[in-house]
Amino acid sequence: MEKKSRRTFIKFGIAGVVSLLIVAWNKFTLRHINQLKHVRKVFPLPKNRLVTFYRNFIVVKREKTTVFSSHCTHLGCEINRLENNKLVCPCHGSEFDLDGNAVKGPAYKSLKKIPSQIISNGTEIEINL
Amino acid sequence: MRLRWRHTTFGTLSIALFLFVVVSGVLLMFPFKVATPYSSITKMLLEDPWLSLLRNFHFWSSQFFLISILIHIFDHYQKKKVGFKIGVGLRLALGVFIVFLAMLSGFLLKGDADSVQARLILETLIKRIPVIGESLAYTFLGSAGSFLFIYIHHIVTLTVFIAYIIVEHSRKFKPSGTDILISFFLVLVFSFLFSAPLHDSFNPSVKGPWYFVGFQEILHWLSHPDWSLLLVAIMLALFFMANTGSRKFSFIGKRALLVFTGFYILLTITGLFFRGERWKLVLPGQPGYGYSVLNNFKTTAVNFFPEFENETVDGSPEIQGRKESCLLCHTGTHGFVDAHKPESIGCFSCHLGNPFATSKTGAHHGMILVPGNIATAKQTCGTAQCHPDIASRIHTGLMTTLSGMIGVDRTVFGEQKDFDIQAHVNNLGNSAADEHLRNLCVGCHLGNGKNVPGAVTEESRGGGCLACHLNYSTEAADSLKVKYPEKMQVHPAVSLQVTNNHCFGCHSRSGRISTNYEGWHETQLEPEKMPENKNYRLVEGFRVFKKVSDDVHHELGLECIDCHNSYELMGDGNFYSHEEQQQDVRCSDCHFQGKPKLTDATDLDNESALIAALRFGSVSNKKYLTTQKYGRPLINTFYENDTAYFITKNRGKKFVLKPQSSVCARDKAHSNLACSSCHTAWAPSCIGCHNSYNKNEPAYNMLTKKAVTGGWVEFSGVYNATLPALGIRKTGEKDEVIPVIPGMILTIDKGSFTKQKHDSLIFRRLFAPAAPHTTAAKGRSCKSCHNNPAALGFGEGELTFEITGNRGVWKFRAMFENDVHDNLPADAWTGFLKNRTGMVATRNDVFPFDIKTQQKILTVGACLTCHNDESEIMVNSLSNFDSVFAKRSSKCVVPEWSVE
Repeated sequence: MEKKSRRTFIKFGIAGVVSLLIVAWNKFTLRHINQLKHVRKVFPLPKNRLVTFYRNFIVVKREKTTVFSSHCTHLGCEINRLENNKLVCPCHGSEFDLDGNAVKGPAYKSLKKIPSQIISNGTEIEINL
Repeated sequence: MRLRWRHTTFGTLSIALFLFVVVSGVLLMFPFKVATPYSSITKMLLEDPWLSLLRNFHFWSSQFFLISILIHIFDHYQKKKVGFKIGVGLRLALGVFIVFLAMLSGFLLKGDADSVQARLILETLIKRIPVIGESLAYTFLGSAGSFLFIYIHHIVTLTVFIAYIIVEHSRKFKPSGTDILISFFLVLVFSFLFSAPLHDSFNPSVKGPWYFVGFQEILHWLSHPDWSLLLVAIMLALFFMANTGSRKFSFIGKRALLVFTGFYILLTITGLFFRGERWKLVLPGQPGYGYSVLNNFKTTAVNFFPEFENETVDGSPEIQGRKESCLLCHTGTHGFVDAHKPESIGCFSCHLGNPFATSKTGAHHGMILVPGNIATAKQTCGTAQCHPDIASRIHTGLMTTLSGMIGVDRTVFGEQKDFDIQAHVNNLGNSAADEHLRNLCVGCHLGNGKNVPGAVTEESRGGGCLACHLNYSTEAADSLKVKYPEKMQVHPAVSLQVTNNHCFGCHSRSGRISTNYEGWHETQLEPEKMPENKNYRLVEGFRVFKKVSDDVHHELGLECIDCHNSYELMGDGNFYSHEEQQQDVRCSDCHFQGKPKLTDATDLDNESALIAALRFGSVSNKKYLTTQKYGRPLINTFYENDTAYFITKNRGKKFVLKPQSSVCARDKAHSNLACSSCHTAWAPSCIGCHNSYNKNEPAYNMLTKKAVTGGWVEFSGVYNATLPALGIRKTGEKDEVIPVIPGMILTIDKGSFTKQKHDSLIFRRLFAPAAPHTTAAKGRSCKSCHNNPAALGFGEGELTFEITGNRGVWKFRAMFENDVHDNLPADAWTGFLKNRTGMVATRNDVFPFDIKTQQKILTVGACLTCHNDESEIMVNSLSNFDSVFAKRSSKCVVPEWSVE
């Protein structure tokens, strides 16, 4: 009985230590990820291009210029093609209009809008994540 | 399922295979560069066949390792009791999961297009695990764009874990000699024969590894793919249950796994063999099946005797982040425009093939010798990296669909009632009209494939992108004459230099706008009777043309593309029924009155901006004239200091644009006339042809490009070059007077094809709206319309205003006899002072003048019999005819309209 209790104690102890390690790992990793996330990126803004694909971003220049995440809201694949004024995902064929709205599944959520501002007399666009 | 050898099982084979994976992996560490994985792999493949073999060995030993493990598990489940302790069972379940992860990390380390998307999918899925998802994704995959974490896990974390599980499970540290021999030879044979897959980065199909494709199929069905995580958890739970549970639970776990495996195999087969670009279902035999679905199966055997020096790999350019074997043999090839130089885009992006194969046969397998055809445009010129926008709209243009031609022909044959019904040449059936089109009309369309190298000539028809953009230099043309060249050294240019010659092949036929523009009218002379002087020209060796007069724009050196923009020529994404709907540019866009419609350079669409920059350099601060119809910029114009300029696209000849003459816009009387009504110098016409089908006639199917027996035969009528007739287009917004020519005055013996008694002879008298391209600077005279029976649609003949006393009557004596079918002269469109209804033109909205309009025109014609065109009274009448007419002299004789 005494032996069993010690074993249980050790088991719980290990579980506790592992849980603590997981919590610490999660916390430190998230902090590191957040540090990486807060970045400022500047891209050239092609004046005459309706849609420009950059790695991780899509710039749609109409009356108002909008920056979207280029990752499909279904599974994160990188959208890299414009067809018939629709942004098309290469993985499973989801389509988004130029306002970022999902118009063909399997994706159903709109593309994520990224805060941005046009700088350098309209020649560049700054993205703040 | 025990093998023949006593101690060899799939379990023991797995140990041997794992050993090969580790050893080959350690050796691969040296050539593999984790910072540029894709590039380093391509270099490896081209630089040294032994490295290529090593990579294949690593790949195949890992694939067989996975397969062997799965069979080993099945073996256990089928014949043995499992019943592991909970801890061991848990580690085994986790172990299988880790094996999949290790395999997947290896797939990601290719760094190619498949891997990039697979990594994103994996990252998204892991991130959706509650609480720890984000951290887990980062810990396993690292920062976006970096492969370092994945590499570390692949070669250390996951490998060590698998090694631990193997040792714990099998109690063995080394495989037996038999296992090593069996697996070594199996893997070696596969490694030699089948190279490990690597995406070419151009093909739009992206797929995961074969063991992930079933899962990808499931993901495709799920709008909420997060549920797939639950599926993975259930699978692991079932596996754990099968390994450790009581007999009953173990049985349930095994059966559930078996059912799932069967289901997963079906999904995998679907994903591998029936899913193409964007995971669309594509069945064998459907267009693009090989390119889109089977791309992942493109493989070659290892070539130990490459046909180039391995040392040259380092110096060869990197295309899209990779090396191409094409450029190791085809060195020094020249003739390209800058944008298409192989140093920039390689060879594969246009010609396909296998850019990683090192033998001629392997590299050329699946190659497209002549790229740019519509059928393959999306694989060549139109890939996402090159011209995807154009490739996605080229199929909508009339030069691709031939919608107008087909719609008119079918309506004329009585197979449909509306000329505007849209059609596509690819969808022709087997009706009388469609067979007629196949035999006589549809050779000219962009989809007509060009399959043999060679310059675009007057005999060229179609060829997709190359129909307009292919240019052979003399050197390139000469190099084609070498029968079996060792290597192609001179390449034709694929450029913006679109000349009149490119248009000539197709547009010298039917409406003949190319020949008209250059001033040539087709005659019915036999070639041998053609006079030998500069006023005659032989086309295609048998068509004799006679010089009439050039279009004024041709005289000035303008080419077809100087007026027509890229959206008119390559389609604008909309399907149109007829040419005049797709046509954007109008005369008044350049020859405007007052202030023109302008576009700032900053507002140019990307395509126009790119073409303008390539042709004329910087576009900054320029203002361009813009079409009134669709608002598209005319990139070879600009507006500066209140003056509009025009530059020819190919030769850079600069002009100041002239505004419309004041004559054109000064009066009310002619404000509804199209410019071409007055400024067309002449137009070709053909009347009285007959069409019949002869089952014994040697004929040609223009779609299949094959000679056939039996076809439609056209017996042509009389060719003329005269001033065109005029008609009215009623668009609803306004009635516009336009030039028209006899589009179809013909008879068709439809019964000769259908063999049906009710299909009697079809007679049609249809005029067609014309764009003759014979513009003259000076417009036609007043009398050429008001006193001209042909202009009014009555046909050639004698039109006289007979005055008896103070009575005046218009009389017309036709040159041609009346046709038996409708009692109208052979070349007439409508009867003299008669209305004509029913099917009258090749458009629903085009009509001949009605009686009232004829009378109005002839009333002016009556005045013109006494007063000259430029007389004061006639000039004044242009501003207000009714007022001048009311004040007419008592000597004036007004026509009476008692029609005889």
